[in-house]
Amino acid sequence: MHGLSRSVFVLLLAALAAASPEVGCVSVPADSTKPTLATHVQDWRDEIIYQLIVDRFADGDVNNDFNVAPGALGKYQGGDWKGVEDHLDYLQALGVTALWISPVVQNVDSDADVDGYHGYWQQDLTKTNPHFGDLAALRSMVAHAHDRGMKVVLDIVCNHMGQVFFYDINRNGQPDKYVNGSGAPGDPVQVVSEYDPPWQPGGVLAFSQEGSSGRAPIVFLNDPSINRIPPQPGILGTAGAYHGMGHIMDFNDIAQRTLGDFTGGLKDLATELPEVRATLVDAFAQWVEKVDFDGYRIDTVKHVEPDFWPVFANATRQRLAAGGKTNFLMFGEAFDGDDKLLGSYTQKDALDSVFYFSQHFQVFGNVFENAHDPKTQGSTAQIEALWRERPTNYATAPIPGGIGVAPSKALVNFIDNHDVPRFLFASAGDVPALQNALTFLLAEDGIPCVFYGTEQEFHGGNDPANREVLWNTNFDTTGDTFTHIAKLARIRKAYAALRRGDTTVRWSTSHVGSEIDASVFAFERSGGDAGSAYALVVFNTNALQESSTTDGTLAMKVGARAGSTLVDVLNPGLVTHPVAGDGTMTLELPKQSAMILVPSDQVVSGI
Amino acid sequence: MTRATLVGWICAVSLAAPAVARGDAPPAAATPEVAASPPLLPPPPAQAAPPQLPATASAMTTATDPSTESLASTPAADAGRFEFGSYGRVNIASDGRGGTGRQTNIVAHGTRIDEGSYAELELRREDTFTDAIQTKIVATLGLFPPFFHFSGDATQAIGVRNLYAQAQYGAWTLWGGSRMYRGDDIYLLDWWPLDNQNTVGGGVGVKLPKETGDTVIALHVGMQRLDNPYQYETIPSPTPFGLGATNVVQLDRPRTVETLKITHLFRNAEGRRLFPSDKEGFKAILYGELHEISAGVQRDTSTNLDKALPSDTGFLLGGELAYWTGKRDTFVQIFARHARGLAAYDPLSSPQTFANDLTTNGSTETLFAIGGNWEKGWFGLLVGGYLRFFRDGDPSATTTQKYDEGTLVARPQLYIGEHWGVALEGSYQTKRFALLDPNTDAPLTASIWKAGIIPYFSPAGRGSYQRPQFRMLYAVTARDSGARALYPPDDVFAQRKVEQFIGLGVEWWFNSSSYP
Repeated sequence: MHGLSRSVFVLLLAALAAASPEVGCVSVPADSTKPTLATHVQDWRDEIIYQLIVDRFADGDVNNDFNVAPGALGKYQGGDWKGVEDHLDYLQALGVTALWISPVVQNVDSDADVDGYHGYWQQDLTKTNPHFGDLAALRSMVAHAHDRGMKVVLDIVCNHMGQVFFYDINRNGQPDKYVNGSGAPGDPVQVVSEYDPPWQPGGVLAFSQEGSSGRAPIVFLNDPSINRIPPQPGILGTAGAYHGMGHIMDFNDIAQRTLGDFTGGLKDLATELPEVRATLVDAFAQWVEKVDFDGYRIDTVKHVEPDFWPVFANATRQRLAAGGKTNFLMFGEAFDGDDKLLGSYTQKDALDSVFYFSQHFQVFGNVFENAHDPKTQGSTAQIEALWRERPTNYATAPIPGGIGVAPSKALVNFIDNHDVPRFLFASAGDVPALQNALTFLLAEDGIPCVFYGTEQEFHGGNDPANREVLWNTNFDTTGDTFTHIAKLARIRKAYAALRRGDTTVRWSTSHVGSEIDASVFAFERSGGDAGSAYALVVFNTNALQESSTTDGTLAMKVGARAGSTLVDVLNPGLVTHPVAGDGTMTLELPKQSAMILVPSDQVVSGI
Repeated sequence: MTRATLVGWICAVSLAAPAVARGDAPPAAATPEVAASPPLLPPPPAQAAPPQLPATASAMTTATDPSTESLASTPAADAGRFEFGSYGRVNIASDGRGGTGRQTNIVAHGTRIDEGSYAELELRREDTFTDAIQTKIVATLGLFPPFFHFSGDATQAIGVRNLYAQAQYGAWTLWGGSRMYRGDDIYLLDWWPLDNQNTVGGGVGVKLPKETGDTVIALHVGMQRLDNPYQYETIPSPTPFGLGATNVVQLDRPRTVETLKITHLFRNAEGRRLFPSDKEGFKAILYGELHEISAGVQRDTSTNLDKALPSDTGFLLGGELAYWTGKRDTFVQIFARHARGLAAYDPLSSPQTFANDLTTNGSTETLFAIGGNWEKGWFGLLVGGYLRFFRDGDPSATTTQKYDEGTLVARPQLYIGEHWGVALEGSYQTKRFALLDPNTDAPLTASIWKAGIIPYFSPAGRGSYQRPQFRMLYAVTARDSGARALYPPDDVFAQRKVEQFIGLGVEWWFNSSSYP
């Protein structure tokens, strides 16, 4: 029995020894503690932005999969910041260098049976959205991205909050949806939702059968089960912080556009108020200070009064610079094809850049998407015309304290994004057209931005079909489009001309039919901040025929030295093309193809 | 047959918990049995102390050799008896602000000075068939608060805490049924730190050697299938005939738990003198558990999508050392245990966070605990405390389910005469999470200090374990910002730095078989 007792003690000690690895104070990883602000970017044109919707990119932690509905794209799917961190390898293999992640702040969770998975229904600007993780997870993800030289851009909204209040039109203290009117002449039937009433020029009015009774009280909702509770911080939780005009009915009416509630009952902030402005500057700057973000992507800028942006942007720049962060990119989203309007947000020292929506519509939409249809395809002359307006519409000098690059040279180029149908949806699955468009995107002037899933040839239609779950692809890195993007990224990285060179259009045409140069476009990237680097980029955007850089009479004149040899670094065979003695080049391009030509003495091997 | 059930039934034997006669061992104490795991479920009933078990060490040593006994004897007319036993505590308290007094603990097993009410009623039939063969049938009902006179609600929550039969045959014990099955507790924490099973199953035990019973080996296997989506789900299905729907079982995966406990007693015996007093003793326990749960498929009825839940396993190893003087319930005990995987979660509290493969891989629990009582003359001192390190399998580095916690409670008391006394209590609790404190950027740490005074009347006489006890209760808790941060913003506990608990209470126990 003494032997047994000795055995008991030995076993007990063994058990304790086995337990020892788990004994010790819990801690928070260093990557999750407050970072030291730093500038991680030299020139934003060197970066390739990858736009990802956190909920859709990767699910790194099943434990925050609260109320997910797999496959129902209007609902949460389970992606999170841990998932992004876990798949930085994938992103690095793709060649992207900066991540634009969807908003991080706590949202109204659900509204009308659709979820706020996208992040634009903000409720509390001081808290993280728990579906995506906590502050530590966010910091860790950003820190790991920085460790790989990748930057992270925070998506913010200054225009509105989520559906956080109702207009108590009938003053009964509760949100109602009801039908007014009898349908008799002079008494039309009206469906009224106190959550989201239509625009009224004097503000949403309360009324009864006796008539109007003044402004409808704004009543904040309090439903913690879906986080529809009064917004934070500070003044954002008060009625005075909102315009209370009802939702926009006419997006061309400037008053409605800037004062009305946004689509979906998203409550428009009174951004003209100094207190609201200060709150927004502070709330978002705190995220940068807490997490070390490298830029803002700013939502719905055209729905805020224009004079807000210089104030907001410069206050932000000054604050962050004081903390040690410069070259902080702020680019805005104005969902509009009006190039002049887009450019206006870069004037008066406002934003560093905007999404080049006019290019999205006129170039990627009209020219590349319609490659199979001469009747609808836009001509490449349209591209040149659009680009020609850049110096006029966009600021041509760097903004003081900004990114050091003029907005006209730092536009954020994109093929598609979360608010428009994917390219492959609009082009009926034309993968060659997509790949040609990608070549254009990564070779043109500005900052390229790739929408997640493009590399996997996603082809979803309008929201939310264009917000597919990426992890269903198993993060395949072998697909044609993935490898095409990766190659383009390597080329862009290797050739400074493609990143920093000035642009000169060498060939454009109004032809889109059977003409010899139909749908050809060529531009050079050289000079500027690229020194002596040179690249010539040539496209045939036509899906029906081979085209050439000649109209049959005149050949394309290029800036490369006459008699020199250019090498097509996009072609796996590195095919060479001579520049004629008269400085011209006649290049034959198969349908839907492109060349990226650089002088033979500038070719970088091993790409 | 699934792996889990196969393992379960291969081991389908378990054992009556070895028990030690009062005076030979530390008194058991009361309660919360869902310990050691994150407080995902409301703590199950507590209960109380030291009634002896029939299967006492002394009884074992006097057992007759079963081989000489008839196995089919008819009970003698005067050998059987009905017994009634009970544990109970009923407390009522104010928070000093006009509200009901409320427990302020922040750790899984904090002091019980401000705990709620709970009671058990035990009915038991005991029969002696021969000198070697005895049986008992035990039915224990647990009564959960609130009680009718407080809530006005005549609906009483009652749980069947015991419903089992046990037979003793010489040195062997066999039982089966639904049972609280556990060892020694720490009274001040109302907690069984080493072993505390609440399963439906059975067990077998043997005392070795037959002559002295110094070593007791006990095996148990039991199952649990809680009514939660982790283990059980029904879904509507079209009726096979006619119209309409009926519910069918979609997910049914009980957890099977096997336990092995080896207890060795060091005490004086014939020809062996280890201690000055025959009442003095020491014991060492080695304890282990295996947990298994089968795979299953859970359906999200809102999306009609199925989710595969994998099978899972876990194990636990632990031990206890205890020494008692045999004088006035004076003893000290220390516990240590380590669990991994599914065993890190008490069977009454299903895991709610997982590794990404939906198993509990990576979950661990390690704890060290101490309890004791010392009495001399007009003074007594009860102590209890523990350190616990819990890590869930969540792949994220920061979660609410990765934490360290600990507490230390001391309750000195002055006995005034034979039937009166005043106990003072002081305690400290702290819990440190792998979470960022938004104010300090360091791990969130919560702490409370608690002090109390308990004047009492003890009709049964002097002693910390004498019951019944009629008490006045006063406790005050100082709560730091971390402690307040653990509560939802609309909870007053998220705002108040100091809480009081001012009340009255009674506690009793007698003749219960729940405390092996």
